[in-house]
Amino acid sequence: MRNRPYATVLKPYGQALVDLARERTEIVCLTGDLTRQCEIDLFQDMFPERFIHAGMAEANMVSMAGALARCGHIPFVHSFGVFSTRRPLDQIVNSVAYPNLPVRIVGFMPGVSSPGGPSHQAIEDVAPMRAIPNMTVVDVADAVEIRKALPAIVDHPGPVYLRLKRGEIPVIFDDDHEFSMTRAQIIKEGDEASILANGMMLSAAIAAAEALDAGGVSTRVVNVPVIKPLDSGTVLDVARRSKLVVTAENHTIVGGLGSAVAEVMAEAGIGCPLRRIGLRDTFAEGARTAPPLFKKYKLGTQDIIDAVWSALSRPGAAPAAPVVDAAPGEYAPV
Amino acid sequence: MIPNRDLGRFADRLRLRAVRMVAPHGFGYLGQVLSSAELFAALYARHYRPDTDRIVISPGHYIIAAFAAAAEIGQLDEALLETYGHDGSRLEAIGTEKSPAVDLTGGSLSQGLSGACGFALALKMAGNTDSRVFAFISDGELEEGQLWEAALFAAHNKLDNLTVLLDANDSQVDGPVSSITTLEPIAAKWESFGWAAFDVDGHDADAVDGALGQAVQAGRPAVVIGRTSTVHGLSVLPEGADGHFIKLPEELAEAAVAELEARLA
Repeated sequence: MRNRPYATVLKPYGQALVDLARERTEIVCLTGDLTRQCEIDLFQDMFPERFIHAGMAEANMVSMAGALARCGHIPFVHSFGVFSTRRPLDQIVNSVAYPNLPVRIVGFMPGVSSPGGPSHQAIEDVAPMRAIPNMTVVDVADAVEIRKALPAIVDHPGPVYLRLKRGEIPVIFDDDHEFSMTRAQIIKEGDEASILANGMMLSAAIAAAEALDAGGVSTRVVNVPVIKPLDSGTVLDVARRSKLVVTAENHTIVGGLGSAVAEVMAEAGIGCPLRRIGLRDTFAEGARTAPPLFKKYKLGTQDIIDAVWSALSRPGAAPAAPVVDAAPGEYAPV
Repeated sequence: MIPNRDLGRFADRLRLRAVRMVAPHGFGYLGQVLSSAELFAALYARHYRPDTDRIVISPGHYIIAAFAAAAEIGQLDEALLETYGHDGSRLEAIGTEKSPAVDLTGGSLSQGLSGACGFALALKMAGNTDSRVFAFISDGELEEGQLWEAALFAAHNKLDNLTVLLDANDSQVDGPVSSITTLEPIAAKWESFGWAAFDVDGHDADAVDGALGQAVQAGRPAVVIGRTSTVHGLSVLPEGADGHFIKLPEELAEAAVAELEARLA
């Protein structure tokens, strides 16, 4: 693991897709008019014969991707998360998921990482994707994980929904980080509280755990990039070894990681308390930048710390989240 | 292979097969076959090559016609038709992933043309200039936005290997399509989207055959619009029968079989 503030890189996904597509000629790349924003201008330049511009027509794009997959292609379909899941939901179900085709649906700009208001904030995309049979759902945390995840995703059977941060992507993991489609990963041990996080909330979970450790609460952090199928073995293992489980997701608490963990714990009869960090069944709003939204909707490092502190009934004030100044081009969680 | 290629008789044999498939259930998607029989006859007898071309039946409710036509040309074991709509059969009443003899179908309307675009694109990417994609669609589907997304895409991307056969039977669940949404002028809409359009009497099988021949040669995506009726070719049906989902009690089924057998005799 690297230290905050994290260095950032541009277009790690776009580069990883190009690198993969060099060998994997079955890969075709579809765009719904957000080509540069989805980092696939790199693919367009490199493999124009495998680049399909569908225009702003997500329903047609997804159904076409299904047919291309039937012909042996592996289509990667791109837009912002709101448009790649909300608009073509029926097409994802009928043209892709029910026939169990290897279409990879990529949704950029998750949760409140967009200051563009509710129309641009994919706050519930994981919930419907999780509910669709055959669908795999992945929310990666950093540039290293993106690079490791793509070769795993490309050959994964059936459709995959991949959730990706847009813009400057932090580098959190070391280069030898291993990504698994089946295993969640304990990245820091601790024996009182366990924080299960993914995507943009992982760095906040790490920061919170460090502050909690310093404040006397031994805290474990588990990275759960694959929300479905959930690694219930690891979830149950850490829940059994914890006094408290906290989930942290850049998404509504309805239907996402927190719900998935709650279902597994409840069915196993694990009585340990659970707290879910996420949007609390509310739309967010437009803003100048995203960080105030993470603060306002309680998706910050301090919110995770406070949840652990109060759930464990610790006396006195909770530890303060570490303040890290991020220079331009660097990243630190809210 | 095909005992009688006379298209009108081919169409009536589809009607007869469909009556026999629907009769055990007492109701079903018979109107779809009555309206599209000549369209399927022309397509299956004269243009569609099962080993070479791709076939999309966009509205899954029409899969009964595709099954009947596939049996007619020997592409599907005709004994299977008896299982149509029964528990555990691959021949479900609304087309699904299990449906044999077609490359794509489905019950959520208007997705088929997009799939056909995907097939046409894949053929072009593979450098296959021999195979064609035939997509059967219905006029009700023109109410869905996705269909026009696909129409725009096909024209812009010059998918000249794509031919659409459109059953304009003016029928949807709530009544005549024209009473619910004005689709006319249908041909002009497709033409304005960059397609070649051929507007014909859909019960004149030779006219459909001729239009399909021109459509295939159009040099751009092309649509053959067949003007049809969901009660065509079966005079025993009662006045005002609901063409989307025809009731076919036993006596009516027997009369329908008798009428069609007499005409085919």
